[in-house]
Amino acid sequence: MPLVCPDGAVVAYAWKRQLAGQAGASAVDRTRLALKAFTDQKRRFFPHLEDEVLNHLHDGESGIAKRPRMPAGNGELEEKTLSEILKNLENEVPNMKISTYRRLDWSKRASSLASLMDDDFVDPSKELNLQNMGKLRPGSVTTPIDQVAVIELLVPSIFRVVVSLHPAGSVDPDAVAFFSPTEGGSYLHARGLSVHHVFKHVTEHADKALQYFISVEPSKALSMLLRWIADYQTLFAKLCSKCRRLLLMDKSLALLLPPVHRPYHQISSIGSDHQEAYHIGCSSYDA
Amino acid sequence: TLPRRRLMHWHPNPGATLNSQILAEACSCAESLGGTKDGRWKTSIISCRPITRDSMGAGGRLPPDVPGELLGVALHEHPGLYFSILRTHRLVLQADAAFPHVMEKLQSYKARVSLDFEGFQYQLGDFCLRIGKCAPNNSETMRGIIMEVEYYPLSSIEKSRAIMVDFFDIWQETLAKKSLPGRFIHVESNFSEYGLSDHYSFQHTAVQYATCLQQLMAFLHVDV
Repeated sequence: MPLVCPDGAVVAYAWKRQLAGQAGASAVDRTRLALKAFTDQKRRFFPHLEDEVLNHLHDGESGIAKRPRMPAGNGELEEKTLSEILKNLENEVPNMKISTYRRLDWSKRASSLASLMDDDFVDPSKELNLQNMGKLRPGSVTTPIDQVAVIELLVPSIFRVVVSLHPAGSVDPDAVAFFSPTEGGSYLHARGLSVHHVFKHVTEHADKALQYFISVEPSKALSMLLRWIADYQTLFAKLCSKCRRLLLMDKSLALLLPPVHRPYHQISSIGSDHQEAYHIGCSSYDA
Repeated sequence: TLPRRRLMHWHPNPGATLNSQILAEACSCAESLGGTKDGRWKTSIISCRPITRDSMGAGGRLPPDVPGELLGVALHEHPGLYFSILRTHRLVLQADAAFPHVMEKLQSYKARVSLDFEGFQYQLGDFCLRIGKCAPNNSETMRGIIMEVEYYPLSSIEKSRAIMVDFFDIWQETLAKKSLPGRFIHVESNFSEYGLSDHYSFQHTAVQYATCLQQLMAFLHVDV
């Protein structure tokens, strides 16, 4: 589990934990381990950078990689502030509930979800409370916009997504994770992982999408990310654009999964209506 | 909140009989889909009939509005619960496991037949399969074969429908290769008639077992 600091921030560096367990390791071993961890994370989170850096090395140019520009869109909404982005999204995707939190407030909410979901007894008053929590939660109405560090996107009965902003109040997302709406607990944060395979794989794909959006248009990354996430409301219904099936056995993972990949290239900040969906094995993205 | 479950039962071809070979083949199918066995499961259904008394009139006949049958469902994964179902009135009640003792003391309904559904459980990624036989309590005579499919990520019945139907198609395709004399079928339970919501619960499971029992009675002449 990633370390959670007192202010609610999460330490993402897994290599620190690995090194901590090897007190007797030599300096060479530690360096080798750190290099491997960083290389793996770079490959995972920045797949598009690898070839560009190599190309520049071959050309003998400086190390700054040229980033592909997004095609200039006409009629794109002016969304400079966090408030504008969230307000426009609410209008475009009315069935997705958007809530904002300070980091510590989100930690409390995540833990409170655990106690609500834990109870297997069907208690109509608890279900009502769960719905009311959506109205009374210590987030959306009262969090000052400059302190917003966590955005929660909930499509009832389909998914709950947690997006982290860094710094708080900015429009700069730095992590995203998908969960089932039935999950609850302290592991529910933007660098957490769902217990369900389907959401684990969507999260892995979302990591790459986020890094891509940041690399091509940093000022619009949040807007593109949130709209890209909204398309996942068809996760359990949309057929794969390649094989035309819903569930497919992924041979390498030995798992039955719906199409968990949505393309993230050439997404404009106003979103697209007819997004395609692919199984991992049917997709052109690396698994 | 509970993950969505769907119950299916084995419907033999006309003239075909039930046997443990079918059960073994179904288990083998679960394994061929990557399922790992991780324990046993058991559900019991108790059928109760009203106790007639002399005070009820000539021949001890029941007044017409008294239900002729009360079903009890005990899910052994939750030994503290007991579910009572009146099919004719579309009522399902979640109660404490002590409820049957209360009924016994009241001398209102008496247990006549008890059926056990039990077998092995398999984990298949986000799915769980429970495959087992139905037999009268304390008897090895197989009266039916049933299968539960559970999908952990979703608890909405409506939103999980497409996934469940697709899984069932994949299951049927896999099982068809074994050329068995019958097939699994799913009979929809009308949850809304029982006042149940779209979010899955134990009551939904109890109602599905009641529906399944009705099917078994119709096709296999189970005397309940």
